[in-house]
Amino acid sequence: MASRFTFTKGTPQYRNYKTIVWALIIAIFLLIGFAFVDVGSISIGSNKYNLSLIRLNKAIAYGIAILGLQVVIGYTGQIALGQSFFFGMGAYIAAWLVADHSWPFLLTLLVVVPTCFLVGMLCGLPALRIKGLYLALLTFGLAALFPTLVKLDSLYEYTGGANGKLTGYKFKAPSWLPLDEIAQGLQAIPLLGSFFGDGPLSNREESRLWKYILFAIVAGICFWLIRNLIKSRPGRAMRAVRDNETSAAVSGINLAATKTISFGIASALGGIGGAIYVAEVGIASPDDFSSLVAIYLIVGLVVGGVGTLEGAIVGGLVYALVPDWASSTQSIAFVPERWLQGPTGSLILGIMLILLTLFMPGGIVNAFKRGTTKVIQIKDPSRLKTK
Amino acid sequence: MDLFLQRLFDGLTNGSAYALIAVALVLIFKATTLVNFAQGEQAMLGAFIVLQLWNWGVPMWIAVLAGMLISGILAAGLERTFIRRFDPADHLPLVIITLGLFLVLNAVAAIVWRYDPLAFPQLFPHGSAITIGNARLSWYSIFAFGSCILVLLLLHVLLNRTKIGLSFRAVSSNLESSRLCGIKVGPTLQFGWALAAAAGTFGASIYAANPVLQIEPSIMLRALIFSITAAALGGLDNLWGALLGGLTIGFIQSVLVQYIPFIPNEMTLTATVVVLLIVLTLRPSGFLGTKTVERV
Amino acid sequence: MTDVLLKAESLTASYGQIEVLHGINFEVFDNEIAVILGANGAGKTTTIRALSGMVETTGIITFKREDISQLESDAIVRKGVAHVPQGRGTFPELTVEDNLRVGAFIRSDNEVQNDIQNCYDTYPVLFERRTQTAGSLSGGEQQMLAVSRALMSRPQLLLLDEPSLGLAPQIVEALFERFLIMNKDHGTTMLIVEQNAQLALGMADRGYVLEAGEIVLEGSAESLINDEAIIRAYLGG
Repeated sequence: MASRFTFTKGTPQYRNYKTIVWALIIAIFLLIGFAFVDVGSISIGSNKYNLSLIRLNKAIAYGIAILGLQVVIGYTGQIALGQSFFFGMGAYIAAWLVADHSWPFLLTLLVVVPTCFLVGMLCGLPALRIKGLYLALLTFGLAALFPTLVKLDSLYEYTGGANGKLTGYKFKAPSWLPLDEIAQGLQAIPLLGSFFGDGPLSNREESRLWKYILFAIVAGICFWLIRNLIKSRPGRAMRAVRDNETSAAVSGINLAATKTISFGIASALGGIGGAIYVAEVGIASPDDFSSLVAIYLIVGLVVGGVGTLEGAIVGGLVYALVPDWASSTQSIAFVPERWLQGPTGSLILGIMLILLTLFMPGGIVNAFKRGTTKVIQIKDPSRLKTK
Repeated sequence: MDLFLQRLFDGLTNGSAYALIAVALVLIFKATTLVNFAQGEQAMLGAFIVLQLWNWGVPMWIAVLAGMLISGILAAGLERTFIRRFDPADHLPLVIITLGLFLVLNAVAAIVWRYDPLAFPQLFPHGSAITIGNARLSWYSIFAFGSCILVLLLLHVLLNRTKIGLSFRAVSSNLESSRLCGIKVGPTLQFGWALAAAAGTFGASIYAANPVLQIEPSIMLRALIFSITAAALGGLDNLWGALLGGLTIGFIQSVLVQYIPFIPNEMTLTATVVVLLIVLTLRPSGFLGTKTVERV
Repeated sequence: MTDVLLKAESLTASYGQIEVLHGINFEVFDNEIAVILGANGAGKTTTIRALSGMVETTGIITFKREDISQLESDAIVRKGVAHVPQGRGTFPELTVEDNLRVGAFIRSDNEVQNDIQNCYDTYPVLFERRTQTAGSLSGGEQQMLAVSRALMSRPQLLLLDEPSLGLAPQIVEALFERFLIMNKDHGTTMLIVEQNAQLALGMADRGYVLEAGEIVLEGSAESLINDEAIIRAYLGG
């Protein structure tokens, strides 16, 4: 099966290819930011679909949380259904720090990460004694518990109870960043310029754009760290645990350490996602972190592709966009309006989950990779091919 | 003392409903070592089918039986279409499929019947049967508990005295040997799923028939975690354990939590999850389950 | 002239990518006891499992002149083949009596209770333990139960996978004596797969020797016992 382009790892052509791909990704990312900084929605037929930086920021938040799931489920093979617990924990910790103590966003991460990591490790302890299904049950219980915990009277001053915790995030773009100039520059492009708005960026737009860039940088760092983790020895240990615990133990891998650390990392990522989420939404309320969220995150994981890093991004987008767009769809030709009301988002996500598990277990990313090997193939000469 | 009795009686009602859903979970777990996360939603949908039939004029109890039958058939279809193609030893895809079904079934119910609470047929007579001091045991509680026991007895007879029950127990015990005895495993598992769905529908119907409640799509959401805990508490592969577990959870909720004054209301869920945590980590086989539990 | 009851031609079996049986041929005649000998890993269990439709195979398996190669395990049982798996394969949570009933699953006549009674007569210890769970029985008792269970379907062909494995010598002897009686008095054809060559050849009519997925020797039990290669390899000569 000859591909149109073949690259071998380690060669200069491969490095060039990678550089080009990354440059493209960053460019597209920035362009999207500028394009959607003031656009709210697209209209198809009589339906209006939200597509804005708000959606994208949520996608980033979910994406990081799903990245956490990639670590614990995709790479370590533990069935952890409680990510909404840590998503919520990160959100509430950040919200409390910002609302009650006026901490800036980035600083909150310094508290969120270690706390969620430690609590995650604790919650990972049962994984040492019980497997598979029992772990799934336990983590599901935790996820179901979160909204209740947060509504406890004794925690009211920290969590705001059922009404949630209102925060006052302030995001100001650093003055040395020429966002305004770039925006105006893009607007000057003939033909496409109108996509990038009209006139200089307002304060609100500038801060919105800055949030987007900031969140994306945080996400980028997370992905980069996890990518290195996967390639390192602990990462290989995780995959060994996933593939066969007995063999892993026999080869000298410390099962306890690997599993608990894996849980810890996943929870920390969940917490970061939650912190970003609440920074975007502005308020932390209990029902935003129900067990339904845990299930949706799993949908994102599976649809994106279990065991892939890119899958987390795809999953985040799916979670941020599909339910919202589903409920925005008020009329489609031939479909009675009645059927379009109600939790269609939930329905579609559930159907996606089932169909993908049945027919495309590798998710979108793996299907995409398989499809594109016809065009581009990467060879790794350091790996021996065995049948 | 009266208050304690009252709480005991209260616990009986919910406990019976949890027990039935727990029985459904246990049936499927016994046969396939899978926990069906969609069990609660299947039950809820079944109860809605009962409601719809009743609204169309079908007599109450016929509607219940018909609802149980229909949900059983649907469950058999689910098993055939979605569950059977997976390797039973690989838990992850199966868990995910049941989560997907959870979402779909919940959404379907909400789309068809909307979110407004609806009146469910009153299956049992109103009023209190027994009054001891200030404690009132309602007819509803007695009948709820009674029918729960009845269902369990019927299940017991079905599983222990019939040929198909024997094949189900055989498949639960040793899949390969079952094949070698000529048992068709697939249809047997479908039978198990159908039974479970029927039990669950009955449980949800009892729950919804509570004079103080009305039915709406989220009715079984909390019940799921309570029933999972009940099943684990009783031992995930023991049917009578499910009854015991269900009643225990019911009691814990009404007696313990409200009897001890400084624990606020929301603690029912917390207490339940704590119980789940304790059971799964310290004694995964629960009260009556078999001791061979998956350990690392 | 006795008929061929079971015949395997060019039987190949694989577990995933690994081929374990490489196109073997053997047959079992009506009313005889045939054995397949071989060391660990030779493919004996795979052969038996292949006959019961539990392994991916190519090649042809005929039973009573009917091609059963593509049939599912439960269908094969209905044709008259019963399989006692390695390690007994009892239903541990079920009682002894329920185990026997499961064995009779494919039958719809009303002599099942009679057969159960016969089993109890043959193995009084099973009668004693009839309400106990199979998992609580000793190894030897479980083997008796497993064989009885297989006989409940009134098979024409009984497949036994290493029946002596893990059992004390006296128990094994008693067991094999039973097999002989079953064969002589009731005409049950048996195919036994065994590591214990001495024992197996002692009661068999014919035998095959399997090595690394191939049949290297075949013949009457007598000729095999006297064969030098066998004596060296399997009989400790």
